Amino acid sequence: MQIELRAPAPEDTKGIGRTLADLLRAGDAAALTGELGAGKTTFVQGVALGLGFEGHVVSPTFTLVREYRARLTLVHVDVYRLERMQDVIDLGLDDALGEGDSVVFVEWGDAVEGLLPPGHLVIELTVPGAGEERRLVLRGSGEPWATRWERLEQMTEPWVVAA
Amino acid sequence: MIVLGIETSTSQTSVALGDENGIVASASVTGRTRQDEVIPVLEHLLRWSGLELASVSGVTVGLGPGLFTGLRVGIEAGKSLAQVLHVPIVGIPSLDALAFGVRHTRRLIGAVIDARRGEVFYAFYRSAPGGLMREGEHRVADPEHLAADLQARADEVLLAGNGAILYRRELEGVGSRVEFASPASAFPEAASLVELTVPRFIREEHDRPYDIEPIYLRKSDAEIAWDQRARGASA
Repeated sequence: MQIELRAPAPEDTKGIGRTLADLLRAGDAAALTGELGAGKTTFVQGVALGLGFEGHVVSPTFTLVREYRARLTLVHVDVYRLERMQDVIDLGLDDALGEGDSVVFVEWGDAVEGLLPPGHLVIELTVPGAGEERRLVLRGSGEPWATRWERLEQMTEPWVVAA
Repeated sequence: MIVLGIETSTSQTSVALGDENGIVASASVTGRTRQDEVIPVLEHLLRWSGLELASVSGVTVGLGPGLFTGLRVGIEAGKSLAQVLHVPIVGIPSLDALAFGVRHTRRLIGAVIDARRGEVFYAFYRSAPGGLMREGEHRVADPEHLAADLQARADEVLLAGNGAILYRRELEGVGSRVEFASPASAFPEAASLVELTVPRFIREEHDRPYDIEPIYLRKSDAEIAWDQRARGASA
């Protein structure tokens, strides 16, 4: 399951995040990958907005974990500064995923995918040129996403990269 | 001498105050982790019971194994209070506290806590005069492994804890030798910590605050494969 999207401006990256938020369910986890400045935090800002969180969402690079309480509790994690898998386990992502009302978004999460639940989402952001445009690839795995994939395809249609 | 107990290793947060005559005040709430409410709950218990914080002459904390986030907050709260009040501290494995709650049985006691990710933390205990004896180590395993462990023992067993409740179906397969404790004793209670440690405070058998650390059963020595980060930094 894979969707390729084009975000001409940061508002689009945010818009895609906001759209995805409507489909999120408690226990969902997503890994965000992409170089510095690719828009990982911008994407999560959109997710927060979509979940109904009105406040400010900033990068958790230095705090490692931030929580935003809205329709679901958004747990925003950045593992960029960590060196060991144990450090990631110590962040308590399992605890958060077991709470029953949380979704977890992990920046640089592709490096620690083994610690995410089997049916998680991967959001890959790339910078095709020097401008503001970003490319997003959404990859879903497992039953949790299979049942929602068609809906996600419909909802992200405005940003789809023409074949 | 009033002892303050703090137990935050599971999805239940529990705070209690007591002495050699029994528990004076206690509160436990289950659900979304509420470790950030340990201090407000303590304040409430003090107000309710009419005790002064200054009357607390010992702090005891549950060391897990359990959910990491809760443990970390509860243990640090306990250590900070002990330091500020200049009182000694004692750490107790949370599975011990869970087993203590169901100790009035001749059966072997299995304390079983949900460890998430389809696993449980567990340990076996036997009732002994004045308390409990642990048989073997704390373990982390999937419920099938625990069932096999039970199968291998000839004992009549009493299983207690939210892990036993959650995986009841898997564990019932072992047969009639296994009995399940009431859901009322599904979590380690701060009151049990207090009851367990009052004699130790009286005998002045304290722990050094520096030695108080959460019990980890899941260890990973793996490094994160960081080729992505190198790529990001060079961009």
